[in-house]
Amino acid sequence: MKRVKHQDVFTERPSAKTAPDAKQLRKLAGDWLKLRRADAELSQADLAARLGLKYYTFISQVENGFSRVPTEIMGAWARELGLEQAAFARHLLMYYEPELYRLLFGAESK
Amino acid sequence: MSVVAFERKQDSGEWSEKELSTLVAALGAAMAPGTGREWETGITEKGDVQFYLLGPLPEQACELCVSRVDGRYILEDGVGRLLFAHRNLELVGLHAKAAVPSTSWLMVRAITLWCAIRSTIHEKAEPWLVEGEELLVQFVPQLAAFA
Repeated sequence: MKRVKHQDVFTERPSAKTAPDAKQLRKLAGDWLKLRRADAELSQADLAARLGLKYYTFISQVENGFSRVPTEIMGAWARELGLEQAAFARHLLMYYEPELYRLLFGAESK
Repeated sequence: MSVVAFERKQDSGEWSEKELSTLVAALGAAMAPGTGREWETGITEKGDVQFYLLGPLPEQACELCVSRVDGRYILEDGVGRLLFAHRNLELVGLHAKAAVPSTSWLMVRAITLWCAIRSTIHEKAEPWLVEGEELLVQFVPQLAAFA
C-alpha cells in the first residue's frame, strides 16, 4: 500500500467563501476520502473487505457524501488508508461537525 | 409456435423506471409531504447503482440505501449496517419500508397536541384540586368531632 505524507493530505480545507451546508460538506469529505483511498491504491471493494464489510456499497455511500464514516470504524478506516488515526478523525470532524471543529481547533487551524 | 416473453431482470446499468417506481412506492409513506424526506440516486466506482433515502434538512443524511450488485439488491442503513439482501426488489422494498423510523409527522403532531392539552388541563385544574384538598383537611376534624 502506498503511503503518503500526513502534512500534505490534511491541508485541504472547505472553501470559506460561502458556508456550505451539511450535505455539501459530507460530499467534500467523501471526495477527500476517495482521494486518500486512491493514494492507498485500494478499490472500494478492497477497503470494504479490509474493514470487514460484507458489501462494498457502504464505502460508496460515504464517498458519494450521503453518509459519514461511523466513529466505530474511523480508526480502522484511517489505518487501512495508511493515515494517522487522530489526524484523520480531526480532518473528518472539520467536514462533519464544522462548528465543533472551530470550537476545538479554531485558533490553531488558522 | 408461440413465444412467451419473460421479463428480463436488470443486473447492471442505470435504475430502470420500474425499479425506481417500486422503491418509491414502497417508501411512499416515509416520503409523504411534511416528513422532509427525499430520495436521490448515485453510483459506485464499479458502476453499481444506489438509491438513497435522505432524512430531513438540515442534515439530509442517508437513512436507507438500496444498491444493485450483480442483480442482487442490498439494503443498508445510513451507518453501513446490512439490513437485507435479495434478488426480489419488491421484497427488499418491504424490508426498507419496515426499516424506516416509524414516527410519522402526523403522529408527532398528535402527541405534541395531546401533551399541550394535558398540560393546560393540569394547570387549570390543579388550583381547584389543591383548594378542595385544603378544605377537606380543614373540615374533616370538625366533622369527626361532631360525629
